[in-house]
Amino acid sequence: MNTVRNLVRIPVARVALAILFVVAVVAVFGAALAPHDPLAQDPAILQGPSAQHWLGTDYVGRDVLSRLMAGTRLSIIGAIEAVVVGLLIGVPTGLLSVWLGRSGEWVALRVSETLMILPFTVFAIAVAGTLGNGLHQAMIAVGVLMSPAFFRITRAVALGLRTTQYVEAAELMGAGRWWVLRHHIWSKVLPNVAVAGAHAMGTALLVVASLAFLGLGIIPPTPTWGGMLSADLGFLEQQPWAPIFPGILLVLTVGSLNILADCIREASAGEARRRRGVLRRAVGRRDQTPIGLPVEPEDTITTEEEPRRVVAA
Amino acid sequence: MTVHNRGPLLKVSDLSVSYAKPRKGTHLGTGAALHGATLEIRRGEIVGIVGETGSGKTTLARATVGLVAPATGTIEFEGRDLGALRGRELREFRRQGQVQLVFQDPLRSLDPDLTINRLVAEPLDIAGGLSSREKAARIDEALREVGLEPESIRGRRPRQLSGGQRQRVSLARAIVTRPALLFCDEPVSALDVSNRNLVLNLLDRLRKDLDLAVVVIAHDLSSLAGIADRVAVFYRSRLVEQGPTKDVLERPAHPYTALLTASAPSVARHHALRPTDVRLDADPADQRATWTAEGGCVFAARCRFAHDACRVQPELVTLDHHPAREAACYVAGQWEAQPQKESA
Amino acid sequence: MSSPPEHTSMLTVEDLQVSVGDHLVAVRDVTFSIARGESVGLVGESGSGKTLTCRAVLGLLPETGQIDRGSILLGSGDADLPAVELTGARRSTWNQLRGTRIAAVFQDPASYLNPSLTVGHQVDEVLRIRGGLARRVARERTLELLHEVGLHDAELVYHRYPFELSGGMLQRVIIAIAISLNPELLIADEATTALDTVVQAEILELLRRLRRTHQLSLLLVTHDLAVVAETCDRILVMYGGEIVESGPTEQVLGDPQHPYTQALMGVASIGDWSRRTLDTIPGQPPAAGEEMPGCRFAPRCRYAAPECVAGPIPLLTVDRDRSSRCVRVAVPA
Repeated sequence: MNTVRNLVRIPVARVALAILFVVAVVAVFGAALAPHDPLAQDPAILQGPSAQHWLGTDYVGRDVLSRLMAGTRLSIIGAIEAVVVGLLIGVPTGLLSVWLGRSGEWVALRVSETLMILPFTVFAIAVAGTLGNGLHQAMIAVGVLMSPAFFRITRAVALGLRTTQYVEAAELMGAGRWWVLRHHIWSKVLPNVAVAGAHAMGTALLVVASLAFLGLGIIPPTPTWGGMLSADLGFLEQQPWAPIFPGILLVLTVGSLNILADCIREASAGEARRRRGVLRRAVGRRDQTPIGLPVEPEDTITTEEEPRRVVAA
Repeated sequence: MTVHNRGPLLKVSDLSVSYAKPRKGTHLGTGAALHGATLEIRRGEIVGIVGETGSGKTTLARATVGLVAPATGTIEFEGRDLGALRGRELREFRRQGQVQLVFQDPLRSLDPDLTINRLVAEPLDIAGGLSSREKAARIDEALREVGLEPESIRGRRPRQLSGGQRQRVSLARAIVTRPALLFCDEPVSALDVSNRNLVLNLLDRLRKDLDLAVVVIAHDLSSLAGIADRVAVFYRSRLVEQGPTKDVLERPAHPYTALLTASAPSVARHHALRPTDVRLDADPADQRATWTAEGGCVFAARCRFAHDACRVQPELVTLDHHPAREAACYVAGQWEAQPQKESA
Repeated sequence: MSSPPEHTSMLTVEDLQVSVGDHLVAVRDVTFSIARGESVGLVGESGSGKTLTCRAVLGLLPETGQIDRGSILLGSGDADLPAVELTGARRSTWNQLRGTRIAAVFQDPASYLNPSLTVGHQVDEVLRIRGGLARRVARERTLELLHEVGLHDAELVYHRYPFELSGGMLQRVIIAIAISLNPELLIADEATTALDTVVQAEILELLRRLRRTHQLSLLLVTHDLAVVAETCDRILVMYGGEIVESGPTEQVLGDPQHPYTQALMGVASIGDWSRRTLDTIPGQPPAAGEEMPGCRFAPRCRYAAPECVAGPIPLLTVDRDRSSRCVRVAVPA
């Protein structure tokens, strides 16, 4: 697809994709690749980086590097869970809502708004409290809370496209809604969903880390990034540098996701925009304008859709 | 151009369309009002529909293709009532592709992400029933018919083409279903002078080659004068005059048509009539301005020749001595002889 | 056309060259002048360079464009019309000139008006801020101006917002703003292109009238030959970035001395409504900056001969006040 080709052309995007690829590999094969057993304890506790333990050991002598690698999996899986749930709920309903009647539309919008105002972390804690202390339950709950964002984006794009002339032309050819959706709307919705998805992954990762940090949803000694951060806090005196490792990992991953989101947006817009600083991309400003919607051309000659004259010409 | 003497392809009778509320989720149906339009179109002829913004000229086309529902009146296509079609029946009819509407701006009516091949194939894909070989042959045929080279154009996207080429692609998409009736909404307004005539010539050729009826909707006369057999003039939702192009434009029966021809700029700079001979400058004290709102002639407020009878909208009547011409004016054809009246 | 224009030159453009983007020469060798009270039509298709020329005169070239050489002199040097060199003029100079000496009217009137202010307010604004008039005086003057441009229920229109008015009325308002400070030169860039036929005729009539009453010089930039035929004393035909023919309108259109003008006449609205074959000009105009040996119309010209592509063609004098960029002009067709 055009977008993918354009994407790979942006240098920053290539870097981001490379980082994410490494993270993905570690997530899948982490446990196997780790130099030591992440759960193996050792009397040599709180060691600094050495030849044997590249990132040192933690408070019970476990290899930090191995724990990080093993922990990647859980964090990534949790984040993916949330995003997938959000997508599955948000995108189809967003598309459907464009064809609902007035009242259906109203209900859909109000539900999505309600979900939007609930704060992630608090809600997740509440769910964990009710449904049991599982990370998965919590992430599914987060996914539900994320769905309105996908709903709104999909809806905005689909709504805008619904009134374009080429959709009108397709309807004049006898196309049904499904055809219009498949051939004219879907391919334009995808880039927007991809951008939102990348952002959402980043957010979800941070939520997972926060929950793990708070001790929710993990049965120790399973390693997670957030859990490691939390443990490290207790031993800052002896190992002040310790939180840096999980911290950097988080920053790199979330930053790459935001950069990717920004680059996808640029790639599908088609024209090269002025080079944006890496930092701006990484911070991931919430630029909600959907891509792919037609801009009204300035030079249309007289059409019927002129406002009603109040004073006679 | 001999007009084939068959029954009318399209018969519009007393069609009225009012400002409809927008249909859900779209802005279809916000056309200008149309009142009591009666018109016939035959195969093989080119009819020009001319009018200002708000005259209702596009509404007629939109009503025929079902983008807007008529309030009263009928639209018969080959004897079949189109106004009554809804839902599945309407879709079926559209899939047959017998009536096509070509939009004004190809940049907006062609999906920018699709290749020309996909774009022209779309009506055939939606209708189904053709093998891919047949489809490819039809697409090539349509592209060649509009003067484009299939091989070089097929894989491109609309933005890579010139304005004139895009307009042709739009036309190719319309004729690929082998329609009987083609509505073209301002086909040349956005084009440069050199391209304009190319497209107009193309429309002329298409109707000859494919035995099409073409309706060209335009706001200026220069788009029509060269190729239209007949012209229908609309003003503020009413059909005010129609007849053979040369007769209507050289000797207009309705004062508005005269105003139109007098206003159209010409390089020859020879005008039999000046706009001020027909037009009355708006004067707030003039009570004629209210006649229109009270059921009077739509043109009364600007017409020098308006008189008491004009308080009632005139019907479209055939002119004496000119059976092919009609006008909705009490002094049709006679106003030229009248002494110039001053404003009341 | 009414009283003959005085011969003091209001605008003198000499040897203007404008390039865009990567040094693509889009306008070259443009020389013309507009006398006081004269109306000149600049005609060409899109890509002919007419818009860029117009923008250069207004000091509104896009970021990617620049004036390579040439001079644009506004004014005659008389006491009441001091001469000002426009190329390279500073922003402060432009701020002073615009409105008071040069004004412009463009294609889409609605986009030049603030949709959240009444039309009267916007005309007032110009009079008060640039003209220094007091509030009440400005209002009176605004009503006068609105009346002058043909909006006879001025009181009513004064309180309307742009969205409540038709295209023709909005264009009149823009014209009112344009003449409010009594400029000497009004530039209309496709000012009537988007208007209905009848309204277009009214606006052109208005411009003709204003020319007479205000001694206004008019530069009408358009692709429509017929509009120029009706409104302008003199015509400049542009093609491929150059002026290919110039002279008094009646003479040029009655007896074109350049194949392109001749071809344009063939395709323009004739006003003869009988069925006729529609002429076309085969081929495409050259792209901006495209280097071509000799005449830029040669590839599409039916009279092209070897001498046409031998070298650059200068603007040749054909007659008193007429010139043509064609070396074959003296040769009968």
